[in-house]
Amino acid sequence: MNTAKSGLRRQNKAQRLAKVGKLARGKFVSSDKVPELLKRIIEPGDILCLEGDNQKQADFLANQLATLDKKDLHDIHLVMSCITLPAHIELFKKGMIRQVDFCYAGPQGTAVADLVKAKKFPVGAIHTYNELYARYYIDLTPRVALIAATQADRKGNLFLAANTEDTPAIVEPTAFSDGIVFAQVNEIVDRLPRIDIPADQVDFIVEAPYPMHLQALFTRDPAAITDVQVLMAMVALRGIYEKYEVQSLNHGVGFNTAAIELLLPTYGERLGLKGKICKYWMVNPLPTMIPAIESGWVESVFAVGGEVGMERYTAARSDVFFTGRDGSFHSNRAMGQLAGHYAIDMFIGASLQIDINGNSSTVSKNRITGFGGAPNMGCQPTGRRHPTKAWLKAGAEANPGPGSPPGRKLVVQMVETFQAGRVPTFVEQLDATDPGIRKALHGVAPVMIYGDDVTHIVTEEGIANLAACRSIAERQAAIRAVAGYTPVGLKRNKRETADLRARGIVQLPEDVGVRPSEASRSLLATQDIKGLVRWSKGLYDPPSQFVDW
Amino acid sequence: MEKFAKAFPSKPLPSKTAKPWALAGVVGSGNLEVLLERGGRPSGTMECHVETSIPGYKASWLAALADFAHHYPAGGTKVTINDQGAPPVLVNLRLRQAYDHLTKGDK
Repeated sequence: MNTAKSGLRRQNKAQRLAKVGKLARGKFVSSDKVPELLKRIIEPGDILCLEGDNQKQADFLANQLATLDKKDLHDIHLVMSCITLPAHIELFKKGMIRQVDFCYAGPQGTAVADLVKAKKFPVGAIHTYNELYARYYIDLTPRVALIAATQADRKGNLFLAANTEDTPAIVEPTAFSDGIVFAQVNEIVDRLPRIDIPADQVDFIVEAPYPMHLQALFTRDPAAITDVQVLMAMVALRGIYEKYEVQSLNHGVGFNTAAIELLLPTYGERLGLKGKICKYWMVNPLPTMIPAIESGWVESVFAVGGEVGMERYTAARSDVFFTGRDGSFHSNRAMGQLAGHYAIDMFIGASLQIDINGNSSTVSKNRITGFGGAPNMGCQPTGRRHPTKAWLKAGAEANPGPGSPPGRKLVVQMVETFQAGRVPTFVEQLDATDPGIRKALHGVAPVMIYGDDVTHIVTEEGIANLAACRSIAERQAAIRAVAGYTPVGLKRNKRETADLRARGIVQLPEDVGVRPSEASRSLLATQDIKGLVRWSKGLYDPPSQFVDW
Repeated sequence: MEKFAKAFPSKPLPSKTAKPWALAGVVGSGNLEVLLERGGRPSGTMECHVETSIPGYKASWLAALADFAHHYPAGGTKVTINDQGAPPVLVNLRLRQAYDHLTKGDK
């Protein structure tokens, strides 16, 4: 007779904790004992979650883990949002990892591509953020999670400050499956400003000798925005934001969308769009949004993470940002991604490569980056049922069949036709389809956003409305029409382009009422970081690398 | 350095323009200057003179200028371009800006 397992995980956890013995005093461990503690609480074959995304990192714990050797720790199934630190790469080089499942490898993209070529990167899959968190509750539940918090109190409660990010999505599945949660904190204090993770869900805490690494990821210096980006921003504002009355949205992190944010109080105001568009945001506290917020454009902002330097500003604007009872900023990556999936009219972002079918990717043969959160937002949520004006209008244009939802999320790719160094953005075939990369990923090409999900592509040439195209051939012609003088663009057919333009599927700047002669940096609400500080009334504290005064 | 000239078919410029000539951009690193002049030329073509610091992109220049002449009624104008390595994406914007200034004025 078969019997259901009962209590084995709990027993196993108790055994691991018993092995720790006097290495810890209650939950608290001194920093020099961390490598030994890690050896005692992690077992071969474990699913180990190492916290770290594109912003905050449990870097002290990662560095301590990387001091161990294969004889101490092996056959680890590593699950993590972002492969970011040299210490992460070290684990692979030492052969400690049996499998890895992750989302993004931005700064280590080249190192990851090298590991793939050397067959030292046993990857399960590259995920989007919420996809990976979802698997933490299904088939990738962590046995041990190494996390980062700002402060702990003497009972072991944790405060996560502005950068809550992934922590709850990691802690909950681990703590409620008899896993072990080990937190590094910047400091241990008597009283926390607020409790984000209850002590009950935390097994060990170390006060790290240095504060956790925090990356200023979303700061875009207005000084680097070009006239061409201003033109594209004007075209997007008139041809998409105004046309569909986009009220709720997510912006990517590029300069193109930063230009849009800085045009709202100037160009947007003149067009009479205030109060009609851009009211509800799912976006990190972008410094370039300060002028729009100060001008009263923005009702609310929910964020997946914090941004270095925006702490005082967000606390002072608690009517716009979500804040804790202590008054300080709150973020949550899983919930933010969920909001960006279901509850926004539009996602607009950039990409490094777009193919003739509208598929995009940031992966090249020598650099494997992965996804992060963009695909959660840059996709059609077919589980959506609530209507908004923009959703219905975009839906009607796409001419849905009897078996399709009536609405569509606007999914917009905003790119210049060439990247720096005259590298074309538009290509016949994505580098992501490289056979070596596909083989490593079990046959899946790492496409960031699928062409079927994209409704519009905006370039300096104009707008291509892919949702209004009635065939794949038409979609390809529309993409070539806005691909400028890249090899893909040069293949366009004049008659086809003229036909698409006559039907409004391809629109030049003039077709949406934009005067190119106005496309100048002087139209931005501010031209530099210092201007953002001024707009914030001194509440924004830019990171030192952005301060040149 | 590369220098070339070519005329492209284009519908005639409107009979009244705001100015006799217009300039967009500056000759500076990563930028270009486009001078657009009207008068004294065949009304069915746009005559182009290009001088660029980066050789090897003549085909792209000709394609961009041909498209411009096709999209905008610019017949009877002379276009003079001095390029100092502007990114390709900037060329069209400067052409459009010069045309806008010529036909509608500076504001």
